[in-house]
Amino acid sequence: MAVAVAKRRQARGLGNERLREALVGYGFIALPLAFFLLFFIFPVGYAFYISRYDWQIFKGPFVGWGNYTKLYHDTVFWTHAVRNTLVYTAFVVPLEVALGLALAVVVNQAIRFRTFFRAAFYFPSLAASAAIVSIATYILASDGLFNTILNHLGYHHNNAWFGEQSTALPSIIALTAWTTSGTMMLFYLAALQSIPTDVYEAAAIDGAGAWRTFWRVTFPLLKPAHFFVLVVSVIGALQMFDQSFLIGGASGGPNYSTMTVVLYLYNQSIKNISFGYGAAIGVVLFLFIFTVTVIQRLLFGKPEVA
Amino acid sequence: MDTEQLPDVPPVAAIEQLAVEGEAAKGTPAAGTGIPGRERGERIRTAIAYVVLFSVAALFFIPFLWSVSTSFRTLADTVAGFSLLPRHWTLSGYHDALHTFSFGRYTLNSAIIAGAITVSNLFLASLGGYAFARLKFPGREVIFLLVLGTLMIPDQLRLVPIYLMLVNWIPGWVAHLGWHNASFVNRNGVIMIQLVSAANLFLMRQYFLTIPRDLEEAAKLDGAGYFKTYRKVMLPLAGPALAAVGILTFQGAWNGLFWPAILLQDKSQYTIPIGIANFHFAYQTLWPPLMAASVLAILPILVIFIVFQRYFVAGVAASGVKG
Amino acid sequence: MRKRLMFPALLAVVLVASVLAAGSQAMTDRAAAPKATTVTLNGWQVSPAEETKLQSVVSDFNRTHSNIKIDYQSITGDYQAQMLAKFAARKPPDVFYVDVADIRDWVGQGVIQPLDSYVKATKFSTKPFYKNLLNAFKVGKHTYGFPKDWSSLGMEVNTTLLGNNPVPKTWAQLRSVASRINVPGGKPICLSADWARMMAFVYQAGGSGQWKDATTAPFRAAVNFYVGLLNSGLAATPDKLGAGWCGEAFGKQKVAFAFEGNWMFPTMASFPGVKFTTAPMPKGKRRGNLAFTVSYSMAKDSQHKAAAWQVLKYLVGRQGMQQWISLGLALPTRVDVHAVPGRGAFTKYPASVHGWGAQKGFRHIWNDVANNELTAVIAGKESVNSMLQKIAAAAR
Repeated sequence: MAVAVAKRRQARGLGNERLREALVGYGFIALPLAFFLLFFIFPVGYAFYISRYDWQIFKGPFVGWGNYTKLYHDTVFWTHAVRNTLVYTAFVVPLEVALGLALAVVVNQAIRFRTFFRAAFYFPSLAASAAIVSIATYILASDGLFNTILNHLGYHHNNAWFGEQSTALPSIIALTAWTTSGTMMLFYLAALQSIPTDVYEAAAIDGAGAWRTFWRVTFPLLKPAHFFVLVVSVIGALQMFDQSFLIGGASGGPNYSTMTVVLYLYNQSIKNISFGYGAAIGVVLFLFIFTVTVIQRLLFGKPEVA
Repeated sequence: MDTEQLPDVPPVAAIEQLAVEGEAAKGTPAAGTGIPGRERGERIRTAIAYVVLFSVAALFFIPFLWSVSTSFRTLADTVAGFSLLPRHWTLSGYHDALHTFSFGRYTLNSAIIAGAITVSNLFLASLGGYAFARLKFPGREVIFLLVLGTLMIPDQLRLVPIYLMLVNWIPGWVAHLGWHNASFVNRNGVIMIQLVSAANLFLMRQYFLTIPRDLEEAAKLDGAGYFKTYRKVMLPLAGPALAAVGILTFQGAWNGLFWPAILLQDKSQYTIPIGIANFHFAYQTLWPPLMAASVLAILPILVIFIVFQRYFVAGVAASGVKG
Repeated sequence: MRKRLMFPALLAVVLVASVLAAGSQAMTDRAAAPKATTVTLNGWQVSPAEETKLQSVVSDFNRTHSNIKIDYQSITGDYQAQMLAKFAARKPPDVFYVDVADIRDWVGQGVIQPLDSYVKATKFSTKPFYKNLLNAFKVGKHTYGFPKDWSSLGMEVNTTLLGNNPVPKTWAQLRSVASRINVPGGKPICLSADWARMMAFVYQAGGSGQWKDATTAPFRAAVNFYVGLLNSGLAATPDKLGAGWCGEAFGKQKVAFAFEGNWMFPTMASFPGVKFTTAPMPKGKRRGNLAFTVSYSMAKDSQHKAAAWQVLKYLVGRQGMQQWISLGLALPTRVDVHAVPGRGAFTKYPASVHGWGAQKGFRHIWNDVANNELTAVIAGKESVNSMLQKIAAAAR
């Protein structure tokens, strides 16, 4: 009886049905969309508006694209903020993704204490940046735990890792890769767990060793995971702020080595009291991230089905 | 990412089972097929592997063991040069963290903020995720791209507009509705600006895409409307994804520093990360209470993670990585 | 299946209810309070002791003034960011700290209230204030704040490590004494890679202390002296000594000499057993020192200016300041308030003290340009001339 009713309903008007579905659809997304419009899209629009004025704390004279041309000629921005951000992203993303994948593969084995290892490897991701940075600064001081261990191993390093121009950014890269690898591990672990075991059995029957199985079988099957993880970590890395702010003392030091685009935005807005200029930097960064994400999408194409 | 291609996925029930201890959950079957003589080699290799694993796990743990050790020291001990264990064990760090700086209150505030944001995200992200996954409406792809785009907007760019909104514009608007002297430069404001995240919505959408359509078809044939289908069929099946969103959101809100630092004016509303940041003074850092506070701050999330990690793994499995 | 929804729904209801209840409770409290004018006071905390001290000054005021209540909130994190946001929203606190490094810029933005009319109307005497400190907060002919306290630099000397050597009084003596001293595991002198210390040497070389004059000879002489000590191994920056700042390095006895201010006294309390003395800064061509000072100022957009002035007047008045200064952390800015004894080295040559800041764009140039360039020079990656040119260019 119900089937007949439904069939008749379907036959009556696909047009009506489509309209109803569309309205329901809009109804469902109304609240989240309203939120995004109010607290994300509108602020970005307002920030763009601010960027067209010589806006310090209060609205100043209209300058059109003046802030953007100023940014184009800003050597500190390009040679330090942009360069560091790109270098940081280029290193931290492969590191944290590779580390996350390695940990996931390990924890995916039929080993004992799996739950313990899963929790241990995820531990750094749980803590707040402020706490992690405090601990890291303490351990990486020139007479801290890390250098003490290195000295015992025969390698004498007496400098503060965050205090030297040449080691500050690499130290931040290592620190971030370490703390974010746990989240990447969980994403990959999930993907690994949904690969059916017959695949592995087939590879074993073919005589493939563990290493070849991984590269020829597992790795390609993780393509959807790779895409998701890469997009998310690239977007995050290009916006790095917390570590530079807490470690470099918000000046991007030592000698601009920890200056990133978002830190530069923040400093221009607050220390140099130029909301307009800072807004221009933010708009440019947003467009850049958007472009990079679109390129990633095009390069990877449509993700394959596992 | 593409709604047209539905991936080939094990049925939902199997996902539940996987979370518990299914075939795939056991991972790659151990190599070796019982050829004699290999056994001892296998055991040595396994032993070495475990040693390496424990060492790596130790590496991940050491900084926290270090902070636990520091939390039991006196301040003089922390500047006196390196020593593995505290020279004098003391609880003064914990006492300072809990009393001098009202840590109990900060924990309550963190819990309220994180809890409210998590519940709101669960509700709004699943609503939106379902719509983008299953309902057809004009402009769906474009609107979805717009939503994803919000992930690319740095908080620092939104700082001034949002502050102006919360201090001036929104109170102005609601005043017209009769609510005078509204203030959002407080805990309510922190919650209000984090009600839903595009990442969570994206996650829910991916998960809903992998649920076979037959169940919805069956519900439709039974005469269920869209919301009923959502509530009675999809949402219960989305348990793992909801757990995933719940853990990630709670953790993010619990550890968040940027918005609370800007918006929380009254000391009685401060959260734990602000409390931790407060142990840094211009000429001194009070390490013992700082570390004590950090240790206390991690415990709740750790508990939540351990309790939900099975669901979490299965949840993300079907959502984020299946395309 | 119902159960799955029940719990989150219930949780949501409980949370929303509790938040609303808390909010409405606060509103009821406010409504029930007596009709006193509330003046908001914002500052930052330099140490837990300061925080407690200011709280007691505030409660004393509240007790003795029935119609004005101070609501004091210390700002954690980035003071500049939060204050700028409040200014932008035109909802600033009534009375607040202004660092001398920010005063020019904030006055230039039009957010600080000139105080001359209030001074005149209440016949507030500005005579007891030290002239050069008061002038640091004058822009044009108007006063925009009254200094609440100040600190200057001095030379801390570890007497154990000094041994039989005399306490150096000049640049040359500093160099010669340092070369005779041996510090196990450290270096004789600690120098910060910070213009907030090096500028004192610029004044000692006879310089003007203005960023725009960075390419003049005194700047060059001072930088060469400072960096020269570092390059010759007689001095090191704190991070190379396992410390976050020179005060810590000094406390850990990694150096014999440090150049820090009167805030060292509370710091040294956590390093008992270190025998040290304080001496005035060494003399270059002449004497030079920096004054770090902060004012109490009033917001232009304040809604309670008259009451705010009463609060301000009290805090920088003799009684309020005496109470504040008794903490021993900073120096009084009035001649009729006595400093805690033992600070003689820091106040010995008042004429040689120059305000740190009070230039346009000061904080930006100091934080974003000058210090980064100085780090480069110290690391040998840049020449002194190049750095000075960049600083002078930024000030244009």
